[in-house]
Amino acid sequence: MATLRRLREVPRHLLVCEKSNFGHDKSRHRHLVETHYYNYRVSFLIPECGILSKELKDLVMEFGPYYCVKDLPLYELITHEFINTFVKKGSCYALTYNTNIDEDNTVALLPNGKLILSLDKDTYEETGLQGRPSQYSGRKTMRFSAEGSMMMSYFSGYGIQEHQPKIALSTTPDLRCPVLRSGLLGGEPEAACSTRELFDWLGAVFSHAGLNNEPYNFVSTYCCPQPSAVAAQASLCTITGFILPERICVLLERLCRYFDEPKLAPWVTLSVQGFADSPVSWRESEHGFQKGGEHLYNFVIFNNQDYWLQMAVGANDDCPP
Amino acid sequence: MPAPATTYERIVYKNPSEYHYMKVRLEFQDCGVGLNAAQFKQLLISALKDLFGEVDAALPLDVLTYEEKTLSAILRICSSGLVKLWSSLTLLGSYKGKNCAFRVIQVSPFLLALSGNSRELVLN
Repeated sequence: MATLRRLREVPRHLLVCEKSNFGHDKSRHRHLVETHYYNYRVSFLIPECGILSKELKDLVMEFGPYYCVKDLPLYELITHEFINTFVKKGSCYALTYNTNIDEDNTVALLPNGKLILSLDKDTYEETGLQGRPSQYSGRKTMRFSAEGSMMMSYFSGYGIQEHQPKIALSTTPDLRCPVLRSGLLGGEPEAACSTRELFDWLGAVFSHAGLNNEPYNFVSTYCCPQPSAVAAQASLCTITGFILPERICVLLERLCRYFDEPKLAPWVTLSVQGFADSPVSWRESEHGFQKGGEHLYNFVIFNNQDYWLQMAVGANDDCPP
Repeated sequence: MPAPATTYERIVYKNPSEYHYMKVRLEFQDCGVGLNAAQFKQLLISALKDLFGEVDAALPLDVLTYEEKTLSAILRICSSGLVKLWSSLTLLGSYKGKNCAFRVIQVSPFLLALSGNSRELVLN
C-alpha cells in the first residue's frame, strides 16, 4: 500500500491568489514586484490589440543591458572599492551563471547589499564562514546588472560582455479567452472563470498549445475554460534575459494606464518567471530546485484598476509573502 | 461601465494542480524515425502499458504541443499519474527496433513555468 501511495504522490506546490485594486493604499503590488529580484522571463498579453503602442514598444526596448563577467573571483564583490562604486548606490544585482542550485555552489548579490552564498558541504567548511544549513538539502561566471559604463570599465580586467534581453513580439488571431470577473477569484459556473483556470490557460497560450480541441481528440483534449469569448486578435510580448524589478515596475505601471482610454480588452496580463537556480525567491526566502525550480507570478489587470495576482512556487520554496 | 473597486482577498492553494506538465524530447541513437503527433501519443501509451498495464495506459494524458522536427513535446498528465508516466518514459528504450531515449527537459505543476527555461540561457 505504501508503494502504491508513493506512486501517486507529487511534489508539494503552492499557488497564492490575491485580488485587490491598484488604488488601495495598502496594495502590495509594488513591494512584491520589487522584492522578486532575479527575473528571467517577462511576458504580457493584451487581448483585442493588433499593434502595440509606440510607448509600450519603446519601454520594452529599454529593458537592458546586463553584463556577464567571466571567471570573477568572489572576493572582488567584497572589496571596499566595489561596495562604494556599486553596492552603496543601490540597484546592483548579481547571480552566478550556469550554476545549478541543486548541484553547484551559487552566489547572489541582493540590491540591499547582502551576499547570499549557497554552498555545498565541502566549500562551506573550507570558507570557515558561519551559516545555516539549507532548508532543502539538500564560481564562476556571474551575471550582473548595475550602472552600465562603470561596470564595463570596472571589470575590464576580466572578460566582461554586455548583453541585451531578447524580445519576441507576436499577434495571435482569433484567440479564445476566458471570461473573468475581478470580484470573483474563485469564478462562478457559467458566469466567470476562476483564477486557477486563467493561470493554466495563460500557460497554454505562451506554450502555443491548441486551445480548441474536441473532447474526443486522441492527441489532446485541452480547451479554453468556459465561459470564454473570442478576441479578434491579441498581442503577446516576451522578454528574456537578466531583468530588473525596477523595469518590471515601470512596465506594470504602463499596463495599468492602458485602460486610461476606453479599450475593447476587459483585462491584460503580465507574467514574470524567476531564475530556476536563484538562491532566493521573494526577499530572502530560500529557493531550491527539486523536480523544477519554478517561482513565478502573474498579474491580471482589469479595466477598473482591480487586479489579480497569482504567485506560484514549487516544493523547495517557502510560501510567497 | 467599469465595475466598482474590489475588496482585498487572499487564497493560498496547496497542491492545487490536477495536472502536471512535462517538456520532453525523444532522441534516437542513430538516424531518427519520423513520428507524427498521433504516433508520438501512441508511443507514450504503449510505454505506460508495458510497465503498468492496461489500466494505467488509460491515464488522462494529453500531448499539448508537438514539434515533429525535434520530436519535442509538452505533455499533460493527471497529477496522480506523474510518477508512472515519468518512470515509463525512463524505461522506454526502443521504437520500431531503433534505440531511443526520452529526455525530460522540464517538469512543473504550472504550465506557465514551462514557457521558459532559465537553464537554457546561453551567454557566449
